[in-house]
Amino acid sequence: MSETTSTADSSAAQAEPGSAEQAAAELDATIAGIEHRLTVWAADTGAALAAMSGKVTGTAVDKLIRPVVEELVQLPGGYAAGAGFIANAGLLGPERSYIAWWQGPDLEPVDALANFSPNSISRYVKAEWFRIPVETGQAHVTGPYVDFLCTDEYVLTFTHPVFTRPDAPVAGIVGIDVTVQRLERGAMPALRRIGGRATLANADGRAVVSAAPDIDAGDLISPDEPCVHYPVGHTFTVWSDAVGL
Amino acid sequence: MLLSPNGASRSLAAVFTPIKSRGLVDEVCGRIEQAVETGLLTSGQRLPNETELAAALGVSAVTAREALSQLRASGIIRTARGRSGGSFIADNVLPSRERALAQLHELSRLQIRDLALHYQAIAAACAGVAARRADAADIATLRSFIPSADDDSSSWNLAFSEFLLEVAAIARSARLARELIRLQADLGALTLLPCADAGYRGRTTVILEDVAAAIEAHDPSAAETRVKALISATTEWLLTEQAKRY
Repeated sequence: MSETTSTADSSAAQAEPGSAEQAAAELDATIAGIEHRLTVWAADTGAALAAMSGKVTGTAVDKLIRPVVEELVQLPGGYAAGAGFIANAGLLGPERSYIAWWQGPDLEPVDALANFSPNSISRYVKAEWFRIPVETGQAHVTGPYVDFLCTDEYVLTFTHPVFTRPDAPVAGIVGIDVTVQRLERGAMPALRRIGGRATLANADGRAVVSAAPDIDAGDLISPDEPCVHYPVGHTFTVWSDAVGL
Repeated sequence: MLLSPNGASRSLAAVFTPIKSRGLVDEVCGRIEQAVETGLLTSGQRLPNETELAAALGVSAVTAREALSQLRASGIIRTARGRSGGSFIADNVLPSRERALAQLHELSRLQIRDLALHYQAIAAACAGVAARRADAADIATLRSFIPSADDDSSSWNLAFSEFLLEVAAIARSARLARELIRLQADLGALTLLPCADAGYRGRTTVILEDVAAAIEAHDPSAAETRVKALISATTEWLLTEQAKRY
């Protein structure tokens, strides 16, 4: 806080060659780390569900998912605000989904009342974080968006499809919610090392975190040439110089 | 008395206001009622038992039991004994026109007007920001919430609320979105009343289209004006109806 803006700017300008690349690599490692953890979790979950040999119950799903969520949300310095599993129709019943999702260090259950609804799948089929991994069979990042279903915060949701067999339909999805606020705290130091207008953007060209005072999370932005693009994780990019649209 | 920075300021007075909470039991009842209103739980459907309900909502079994008995007393659930027994969502419970009318008659014109002003302020702020931040996908989602004039009143009402929540989602402000949700909870079943009127549905559909068009055109001031008009249409309908009791 004692550091003045001008001092910070000049120190960024005098940064040694390679340090912007290094800062971008750090951001990439953070996001790729979340994505990798999710891929591993999806594989483990698929194998465990397959081992249940068709007799999948809500209680069994809870028992399988909750310890992982606990580890994720309670990890010191971790990024997960919430995490869980949502069953696709068919795993527990024809129109029935099942949500095993918890948020916060106290593991507050999310949307758990929906598990008593026979048509609960209708709650999730339209949501981007469910629909896209189920339709494409690929991992997906949704947001940043205001999450009305669980955190009521501005978040990114990383989701990954779960398969019980390689040729079987998608059994469900596992996902991790990361608040934009948490990401901001993690990403700002690296962005400042890249430049005063360095911005982490999602695949749609929307700012997630920006070092520029006039770019807010959620703003649509464009690169201000000359602008260096650093890939971050599977879908994000850091733009060294961004402007608001 | 002067309200100086060192004196008894009005903002400090608020610090010492007693804290009234709805209580956990009311909160659980509210969730179940909301689940019924939105069609998640339907008439005749069996409810979880106390233990399951307590675990799902993260409350104690005592709270869950009290909530179930409160829901039974208000006729939202019925209980059957025996082997196929348990608690079930009652037939034709919610949202009823009678319930909404009773709510309307409990409110004064001053309260309705004040609630509407608050709703307008928040919704207009959302619309203004949404007009700056919307992309094509946002507009497509927003338009999908515009109900058709021949929808029944309860699905029309639901779509209307969802439309405004989507405006808040496009604005991408968690605070404004939460405030909007709170206001919609305060309005409760009230907004169901005008939705039974085909004339209101027709007029309002036009305004919903206008709001979407202003957001799409990235015109914040038009978006704000049109969202205010949307809420005025509802308020005027309610005030006209409320006057009939006198």
